[in-house]
Amino acid sequence: MSCHLCQNNSHNKLSLLETFNVIKKAKKKLCLTCELAFRVIIVGCLGCGRQQTNSQLCHDCYRWQQKGKKLLNHTALYQYNDAMRQFMKQYKFNGDYDLRVIFNRVFSQKINILNADIVVPIPVSEHTMLTRGFNQTTGLIEGIPYEQLLKVSANEKSHQSQFNRQIRMTRKQPFTMIEQVSLKGKEVLLVDDVYTTGNTLYHAADLLYECGAKNVKSISLSR
Amino acid sequence: MKSYFGRQVVHAKVNKVPENIVSSAAFIGNICQRCGQNVHGKLPKNHFYCRACLALGRVSTLDVLLSLPEPNNFDGNDILSWIGQLTQQQKVVSDELLETLSRQREHLVWAVTGAGKTEMLFPVIHQALTQKYRIAIVSPRVDVILELAPRLQQAFSETDKVVLHGEQTEAYRYTPLVLATTHQMLRFKSAFDLLIVDEVDSFPYAGDQMLAHAVKNARKINSAVIYLSATPTKALQQQVKRQLLTTSYLPLRFHQHLLPVLKTTIVGPWRKKLPVIFLRQIKQFSQTKRRFLIFVPQVSDLVGVYQNIKKNFPDMLGDHVFAGDPKRQEKVQNMRDQTIQYLVTTTILERGVTFPGIDVLILGADEKIFSENALVQISGRVGRNKDRPTGLVKAYVQHTNFKVIAAQRQIRQMNKRGQQLGGRV
Repeated sequence: MSCHLCQNNSHNKLSLLETFNVIKKAKKKLCLTCELAFRVIIVGCLGCGRQQTNSQLCHDCYRWQQKGKKLLNHTALYQYNDAMRQFMKQYKFNGDYDLRVIFNRVFSQKINILNADIVVPIPVSEHTMLTRGFNQTTGLIEGIPYEQLLKVSANEKSHQSQFNRQIRMTRKQPFTMIEQVSLKGKEVLLVDDVYTTGNTLYHAADLLYECGAKNVKSISLSR
Repeated sequence: MKSYFGRQVVHAKVNKVPENIVSSAAFIGNICQRCGQNVHGKLPKNHFYCRACLALGRVSTLDVLLSLPEPNNFDGNDILSWIGQLTQQQKVVSDELLETLSRQREHLVWAVTGAGKTEMLFPVIHQALTQKYRIAIVSPRVDVILELAPRLQQAFSETDKVVLHGEQTEAYRYTPLVLATTHQMLRFKSAFDLLIVDEVDSFPYAGDQMLAHAVKNARKINSAVIYLSATPTKALQQQVKRQLLTTSYLPLRFHQHLLPVLKTTIVGPWRKKLPVIFLRQIKQFSQTKRRFLIFVPQVSDLVGVYQNIKKNFPDMLGDHVFAGDPKRQEKVQNMRDQTIQYLVTTTILERGVTFPGIDVLILGADEKIFSENALVQISGRVGRNKDRPTGLVKAYVQHTNFKVIAAQRQIRQMNKRGQQLGGRV
């Protein structure tokens, strides 16, 4: 079996019990070197999941709180390091949709643990859908039931990743609800691929709170 | 407009196609029209994309390919600014190449390492340029292209040219002369009247259907193709035998000296402890201030061998280099500039590089990675200079095997033919 990222053949040695099919292990998608390049977040900020030495609120989350937002209690799986940047480039911008399977398992497990009533992925614009051909977030959580409640407003064109922090922070609400639904008393889980400034997720959360959601949490693959 | 001449540009269907430009389907019957392969990745809503040529930007069923036929919009006032003389044998080959161009056939130049293949190309390139032809010089290896570029710049200083490879920063321009890796040919369509493939037997071109398709697609229907190699693959040799391909054979180097013959020495397990004979050889090099390359089979051997030599000879300057080395170009340049005396390397330096007056040592030449052709190529790094036309090539093996003997035989055979042409030791 070859690694999904570097195409090198990894020689997995089977144990005796595996050889005779007594125990089964899930097939690994990555070779050891590629796997170790991704750093798991162990202890993170309570608000945004950023890797820290303690779980206190970070500076950014403190600012969100001051603005009067209810914190998202964001969970992130991996740090946004070079390996993750490279992965996102290959997956999103080069459009290699097959790479979605790499983190599908861990990501789905984490979402199941959080046990929300409704899972809502962050949408992509219609233009992106017609050029890229897929929504990177729904690809990552393939196999989990979700509801596409949000859509990107028609006047939004550009990708967020090409702007710096200042421009991103001043961005207006980019989303609208597809149809007005009542989320009264529901726990909602927002899913995104990367949490950078938190701006996108807080905008989405605002809309969901307006629809009456009891609590909105969020999760992303990387922070 | 200009940037579409003879190109295949991927363009999303949603975006508007510029005026007058021919757009064609990206997939016909599940076959990717850029690379000719049938390897798919799924997308939602029954769309799919090609995984074979993904590295050059994705082609999917959401895209179309844009192109314009090649008009050969050049002035043809190109001057060959190279001042040099071809030897008698080189002249013969060069004339055959000119004939190849006029008869628009496929031709193989089978010339030993260091025969001066690049120089032999100059007349035919010049001839093609004056006929307003568009020319591509491609190679599977980026090092070869990077070494060729300055030499061509010198020879055709007036001609506009562009160098294309995976890590380039220069933008594409419409030029009569294109230097590129074979992968870049996927971006062209019926563009070239003369296509030259250097080091045609090397990885990844040899045996790769996609790259063969790329080269075939990039040339015009009526065009000439020249393959260059010192060690043609079995497949190419067979084509020669079936007379599908004409050949020029050049068994003698440009300085009329024979190739250095590979010598083998049997040693113990060198990974545990470097053999005494090997270290004695290096001691000799350090005393005579001779520069040398050490080839090792694996990347993991590099540091061990390098540290060991450094410990034994602390005042000798050297370095080690491998394919994924971020400072690769810099280290090779250091060796070229003679600031370091030796370089421990993997097979990446087996071809396409010239360091004047070096010797070569090969550790573990019996291992799988050193094929017969690789060993011949490595031996060919030696004696490429007029001032020092011979040199030492030593292979340290734990067991002699057929492949090493075959490599020696191949060199001896070429030398035999070279002797008939008047080569001397």
